Amino acid sequence: MKRISTILVTIILALSFLLTACGQQAAEPETIQIGLQVPLTGDFASEGQWAKQCVEVAKELINKKGGVLGKQIEIIEADDASNPKDSALAAQKLISQGLKAVIASYGSSVTAPAADLYDANKVVSVGYGCTAVRLTMDTQRPYFFRTAGRDDTQSEYFAKFAVEILQAKRIAIMHDNQDYGLGVAEDAVKFLQSYIDSGQVELVYYDAITPGESDYSAVVSQIKEINPDVWFFTAYYPEAALLLKQAREAGYTGLFVGNNSVPTPEFEKIAGVDVIKGSVHLNEPMPQFLSYAESVEFMDAYKAKYNEMPGSIWAVYAADALNALAAAIEKAGTTDPDKVAETMRTMTDAAGITGPLMFTERGDRKDIPYYAYIYNDQGELELYQK
Amino acid sequence: MQLLLEQLTNGLTIGSFYALVAMGYSMVYGVMKLINFAHGDFFTLGSYIGYAILVFGSGWVTRTFGIWGGVVVALIGAMIGLGVGGLIVERVAYSPVYKAGRLPLVVSALGASIFISNGIMAIWSPRFQAYPQTSIPTGSLLLFGDVHITYIKLVTIIVSWALMGLIYYVVEKTLFGSAVRATALDRETATLMGINFQTIILFVFSVGPALGALAGVFAGLNYSRIIFTMGWGYGLKAFTATIMGGIGNIPGAMIGGILLGLLEALFEGFVSGQWKNVFVFLILIIILIVRPTGLIGEKVAEKV
Repeated sequence: MKRISTILVTIILALSFLLTACGQQAAEPETIQIGLQVPLTGDFASEGQWAKQCVEVAKELINKKGGVLGKQIEIIEADDASNPKDSALAAQKLISQGLKAVIASYGSSVTAPAADLYDANKVVSVGYGCTAVRLTMDTQRPYFFRTAGRDDTQSEYFAKFAVEILQAKRIAIMHDNQDYGLGVAEDAVKFLQSYIDSGQVELVYYDAITPGESDYSAVVSQIKEINPDVWFFTAYYPEAALLLKQAREAGYTGLFVGNNSVPTPEFEKIAGVDVIKGSVHLNEPMPQFLSYAESVEFMDAYKAKYNEMPGSIWAVYAADALNALAAAIEKAGTTDPDKVAETMRTMTDAAGITGPLMFTERGDRKDIPYYAYIYNDQGELELYQK
Repeated sequence: MQLLLEQLTNGLTIGSFYALVAMGYSMVYGVMKLINFAHGDFFTLGSYIGYAILVFGSGWVTRTFGIWGGVVVALIGAMIGLGVGGLIVERVAYSPVYKAGRLPLVVSALGASIFISNGIMAIWSPRFQAYPQTSIPTGSLLLFGDVHITYIKLVTIIVSWALMGLIYYVVEKTLFGSAVRATALDRETATLMGINFQTIILFVFSVGPALGALAGVFAGLNYSRIIFTMGWGYGLKAFTATIMGGIGNIPGAMIGGILLGLLEALFEGFVSGQWKNVFVFLILIIILIVRPTGLIGEKVAEKV
C-alpha cells in the first residue's frame, strides 16, 4: 500500500513538472506580460477594483492599436489585500512568475515592501496610488516609479489655499498616524510654519484619530468646541465620511477640507449628499475634468465597458502606469528592466490620460497640478471658486 | 462643563454598543465556558441582514412601513435571523466538539468566525456598504446648551438598556433563570436535578447572537458604513468589556461596556485620540492586577 502511494506521488509530481514546463514554453513568446498588484480585498478593495478596470480598458486600447513590440499585452493579477504583509507576498508571487514590469500599488505603507522586493529583483514597478514622500526620497530605488504626485505637493497647495484663498485664521489638522495621513499632516504644518511664525495663522488642533473605528463622536465634540475656520483631514475616505457625518450631526458648521483620497463615490455614499455639500477637497485633476485627447478616448472606452466613470483619479493613474510601461518598452525595444527603467527616466513624448508621462531621476512624476473642488448642493464636484 | 457633558453622552452611546455585544459574549461564556470568537461576526451578520432588509426592492420596507417602521422591521428581522443563525452555528460548529474539551471548542469558534466573515464578503463583496440614507431616521434632540443627540442614538440607548434589563430580570429573578444559573455553576449536577441542558443551550445561543444582531443594525443606522471585517473590532472591545466587568455575569458585562465607552470618550476628548487604545488597555491591565476577577466578579461561583 505504502509503495503504491509512493509511486502515485512520484507520477503526479513528474506530471506536474512536465505541465509547468510546457506552460512556460508556450506562454513566453506570444504576449508581453505585465504584473498588476492591487488591493482587491481589504480596506482599499474599491480602489483596487477600479484600478483593475482602468488597466483592463487601457490594455484593450493598447492591444487594439497593435500592442507593444508587435505583441499583445497580458495582465497578470495579484491581490495585496490592502496591507503590507500580503503586499510582500503578492510581490513574491509576481516575481516568481518571471515578470519584468509590474504596476504596484495603492497606499504608501502597502507599496513600500513590494517596491523593495521588485527593486532587489530588478523588476520595474510603477506605483499609482502611493504618494508618501519617502518612497522616492529616502532611498533611491532605480526600478521604482510612480504616476501619482507626491504628498508634499498637496501639503504645499493646502497651506497656500487655506491662508491665501480661504483667508483662514484658525486651522485644525487631523491625521490617522499612518504613513500617508501623517506625511500629509507633517508637511502641511511645515508649509504653514512661515504663516504661523508671522502670526497670520494659528494651528488650533493637531492630533490623530484611530483608523478603522465607527464612533468618532469624542473627537468631533472636541473639534466643535475648538471651532476652527478650516478643518483639514489628511487620511482616507472611510474615516473622513464618518467624521464629517458625525460632526454635522453634532452641530459643527465650519469648513471641512479633505485630501486627495477623500472625494470618491464611497465617501458620497457613506456620508450622504446633505453631509458632503459645501465640503472642499484637494485633488490632482479628477477623471471627469480631464480634457486631453487620450483622456477622452479612454473615458469613452471606459464608459462603454462599465457604464460609469472611473471611481477615482488613482485608478486612472493605474491605467497611466500601464501606458508609461508600454511606451517605455516600445521605445527601448526590449523588456530588459535596465533599459526600460532608463527609458522611463528620459522619455519626453509619452502621452498619458492624465497628461505627459515624464519622470524625474528618482522616479517621481513631473508636473502634476493641484486643484480644490467643492461638493455643490446636488452632491456633485465642482472646481472651487471664491 | 458643556464639553464634559457632551463627551459623557458620547461615551454612553458607544458604551451601550459595547455592553450589548458584551452581554452576548458573557452569556455564552457563563454557560459554556467558551470564548465565542464568532460573536463579533454575529454582530456583522446582523448588520448586513438589516442592510439587506432596508435595501430590498430599493427601500420597499421603508416605503411600506414608514421610516421608523422600516427600522423596527430591520431590527426584528436581523434578531430573528441571528437567533436562528446562532443555533445553526451551535449545531454545526460547537455541538460536535463539546466532548473534545475546551481547546478544540475555541478553535472551532475561530473557524466559525472566519467562515461567517468570509461568507459575508462573498455575498456582499469586500467593499464598504452604506445603509441607505432614505431609510435612516434623521433629526436630533437638543439636550442642553449646544449638546445634540440624534434620535437614532437616543433609541439605541433606550432599546439597549430595556433589553439588557429584561434579560437581567429573566436570568436573575425567574425560575428559568435559576436553571440557567445552575447550569453555569455545574452542568452535570444541574442535569441530574432535572434541568434540560438542551433548553438552556437553545436560550443562550439564540438570545446571545440576537443581541449581537441588534447592536449590528444599530451600528449601521448610527454610522451607516458597514464592512465585513467590522465585527472583529467590536468583538475585541466587547471582550475587553466583559473582562473588565467580570466575565460570565450579566451586570458585569453591562457595567464593563459602559465603563469602556466612557473611558474611551473622555480620554479621546480631553487627552489624545491616537493614544486612546493604549490608555484603555492600560486601564484593563490595572483592573486585572487589582481585581483579577473583574470589577464585579466577586461572586465567582455564580456566573451566567
